[in-house]
Amino acid sequence: MDVLANSRVMDMAIDIKGDYNDSMDIIERYPREKRYTLAILQDIQRKYDFIPREVMVLMSDYLGMPISDIYSMATFYKALSLKPKGKYIIKLCNGTACHIRGSESIREELETILNISPGETTEDGLFSIEVVNCIGACALAPVMLINEKYYGGLTEEKVKAIIDGIKEGHR
Amino acid sequence: MNVKIDGKYYSGNKGETLLELARRNEIEIPSLCYKEGFEGLGRCRLCLVEVIEGNSTKTVSSCVYPIRDGIEVLTNTKNIVNMRKDIIFLLLLRTPNNGYIRKLAEEYGVKAPSRYLDMEREEDCILCGLCVKACEKLGTNAISLVNRGITKKVSTPYDDASKDCIGCGACAEVCPTNAISLVEQDGKRIIWNKTFDLISCTRCGKCYSTEEVLHHIDEQLGVKTQEYLCESCSRRLVGEKFKEAFQNLI
Ligand code: SF4
Ligand code: FES
Repeated sequence: MDVLANSRVMDMAIDIKGDYNDSMDIIERYPREKRYTLAILQDIQRKYDFIPREVMVLMSDYLGMPISDIYSMATFYKALSLKPKGKYIIKLCNGTACHIRGSESIREELETILNISPGETTEDGLFSIEVVNCIGACALAPVMLINEKYYGGLTEEKVKAIIDGIKEGHR
Repeated sequence: MNVKIDGKYYSGNKGETLLELARRNEIEIPSLCYKEGFEGLGRCRLCLVEVIEGNSTKTVSSCVYPIRDGIEVLTNTKNIVNMRKDIIFLLLLRTPNNGYIRKLAEEYGVKAPSRYLDMEREEDCILCGLCVKACEKLGTNAISLVNRGITKKVSTPYDDASKDCIGCGACAEVCPTNAISLVEQDGKRIIWNKTFDLISCTRCGKCYSTEEVLHHIDEQLGVKTQEYLCESCSRRLVGEKFKEAFQNLI
């Protein structure tokens, strides 16, 4: 189904930024039943790294469910995000060990360098910060995870060097 | 079904909840998220009572507890009153400036130490969910409970004017704490960030509803309303018709 041809998307008068035609393939993998909402949302999150508004409208049509219900679910689970996440997702640990070893100042440093708060994404779409609880690497405290890579024994200088390094690779 | 409440016996119907039975017999159990005609939501927990069945005693929310034959219910034990006080205490911290909650706190002699109270807080919603239920009952489903934890609130998706909202105001009407803003001015109604034109009664000219509401009713009933009448005019009209029919009879 063509997203743009879908009248409900049109009359929602939202600017359709992305092309979410493929999302219908994901949605249609499931029967038209309310109980599959979360499963579909998870698949959508996996594909786009967030839940686009347009997709919620498509889901609402397909499942015969009010958008408000889908929105309610999408905002409830931490694993689902309404905003696009960055290419590099920084998960800064704030578990007990990291906290004691100064993860707060690491967070401040990250916020200053990237000019965003936890839960946000930089304008260039490169980084998002998430503060998480114990990632199981206390010996490396304070530690952060960028995508699948661990960075331990962090200091403010180290953080700056790591971020600069990633930025460098994207010039 | 026989149920003993605070020492007296009452006969209940199958499927009835404890709160319904109590209300029917004018036994006072406080509640915030219960509304007659709606099924219990079990959110505010103010309707707590003690239920004794055999040797066991448990604390239940009476609005969602279906009665069973032979149970004994205590609505006002020290334990229950203390729990209610705790709940009211927490609600007071959440909505320190809300008139209704403040009155409730006063009634129960609940005071919050000032070091806990943030009098700057402008919150009025206690997250009971009645408004969401009302919207659902109407088949509009424009609002829902969103987010979670301390950011939980009632709203339309993305806080935008929702195309599902018909501006009926049922949510504001059922809200126990008057937390939903509904503004009427110059023939317009503003609710949930959406502005509606108000329709006036074809007889008396009083503004009384939104076009979307009337349309929604027509749609649900499968009819087309010919004349837009406010409640009192339509009642009068029925009365007149009745009188006419009666006079024709004699
Ligand atoms: S707005 Fe009112 S009815 Fe709705 S959840 Fe809050 S307190 Fe309850
Ligand atoms: S009235 Fe029973 S929980 Fe609110």
